[in-house]
Amino acid sequence: MARPSHPEAMTPHRPGSTRTAPPQVPDDFWTRRRMLTYLLFDATGLPYMLVGLVALRVAFALGRGPEAWASLMEQFSHPIYVALHLLALVSVLFVGVRFFRLFPKAQPAKLGPAKPPPAPVIVIGLYGAWIGLTLALLVVLGGIWP
Amino acid sequence: MAAHSGEMRKRTFVVTRFDPDVDQVPKTQSYEVACRPDWKVLDALNHIKDEVDPTLSHRWSCRMAVCGSCGMNVNGEPKLTCKTALSEYGDVVEVAPLANFPIVRDLVIEMDGFMEKFQAVKPWIITAKEKAAEQGTNLQSPEDLAAFKQFSMCINCMLCYAACPVVAKEPHFLGPAAIALGHRYNMDSRDEGAEERNEIFRGEGSVFHCSYANECSEVCPKGVDPAAAVNQAKLGAVVDWASSFVVKRSR
Amino acid sequence: MKPLLLRLEPVIWLLFGAGIMVGTMLLPAWLLTVGLGGPLGLLPEGALSYDRAHAIASNPIGRLVLLGIIALPLWKGAHHLRALFADWLGHGPDGLVGSLLYAVAVVGSVLGIYAVLTL
Repeated sequence: MARPSHPEAMTPHRPGSTRTAPPQVPDDFWTRRRMLTYLLFDATGLPYMLVGLVALRVAFALGRGPEAWASLMEQFSHPIYVALHLLALVSVLFVGVRFFRLFPKAQPAKLGPAKPPPAPVIVIGLYGAWIGLTLALLVVLGGIWP
Repeated sequence: MAAHSGEMRKRTFVVTRFDPDVDQVPKTQSYEVACRPDWKVLDALNHIKDEVDPTLSHRWSCRMAVCGSCGMNVNGEPKLTCKTALSEYGDVVEVAPLANFPIVRDLVIEMDGFMEKFQAVKPWIITAKEKAAEQGTNLQSPEDLAAFKQFSMCINCMLCYAACPVVAKEPHFLGPAAIALGHRYNMDSRDEGAEERNEIFRGEGSVFHCSYANECSEVCPKGVDPAAAVNQAKLGAVVDWASSFVVKRSR
Repeated sequence: MKPLLLRLEPVIWLLFGAGIMVGTMLLPAWLLTVGLGGPLGLLPEGALSYDRAHAIASNPIGRLVLLGIIALPLWKGAHHLRALFADWLGHGPDGLVGSLLYAVAVVGSVLGIYAVLTL
């Protein structure tokens, strides 16, 4: 029916005059769909970190020379790397969509003299930048230019 | 006799009971109630107390979702029971006390933990010098008001605390409503206390422990959007922190 | 460790913010090309040959972008994994868990700067 929260959740420093039962959450608190989506969002932290570390390997390989580079590219064709990069791609898209939805309302109405643009403008700007940067990088990394 | 659409419907209410003088741990008790079609959860609870079991304890007051007294977990979701229609539910309705709070008795939770966090953010106008009456009133444009009005709509119902995964796990976290209300004052053009509050926001109750689950805003019955406030407060706290290295502080 | 983390939260949050914003923007193209397209032979001939890749990466903007792709996801990931562990294990181990995760991000970022400067 219920599982415990932290035993001192929302507990006042000066206890009341009667014995209280410890704070609890419903059995499905952590497994409801909305909560699972949020936990998944946090879990994308793992593919992100792995991609960052793999990119580090890329940078070192570039510094070491053609043999190291060829070897790394060959490793990247193995299923485990393909799976990682595919998972990371799905994660990045998931993160992007959720983050761009939540970002506009996190901008204060004013910060000193500065005021943010209206939320729809922010969202269009974010997706525009996302698509624009992706296309630009695809052109460069995909061999089209230079 | 008033005409009403729909018929009476028998529902089973599985209600958490806890009497500290008798019970070691909370348990549940089931009540079968013939419910009118237009009833809210609170109507059923009041019926149980009035007609079936006078020992049931639960908080309620205004019956119109402005006082914030009647917050409980209904089928696992934090709700204002005065505002939650039974027609949304099936044959079985589970009513539990608000999650993440110590339970005083039955559906009544210990609120003082929230009051402590609330007071900690200094939820009042702070000015360096009190304004003399002869100087007149504070002037505030509609734009000034719009900067914080949404966050002032909080009725302290604490549903957001029942929904927050961080509140469930970290006892020091200030929590959605307290941070939203502190931020409300930081954004109020009449207030000069942002420096003080931002220090509290960066303290043990840290606003940065919010992981933007957005659950608080999903359950808020008044459209306050505390998640927006907390995450705005993060930016405010960071800017304040950065400026503390550049600008000489008053304290 | 916890008090130190508390003092550094603003910096950590800024790095996380940059990480999620810029990292998310840069990664799709990187993953589609260097991650998948190149290794699976889906790109035009020579697109990611050593000479071309090295030339692009050696460009000042190239170095910056490459550093971004190394460091920024590390900070986003460390911060989110820390939150996940806090939800799972509670805030007791948070000082240790957070420190470990951010240490990885710091070391990765520093190594990234070194790697990008010595291409």
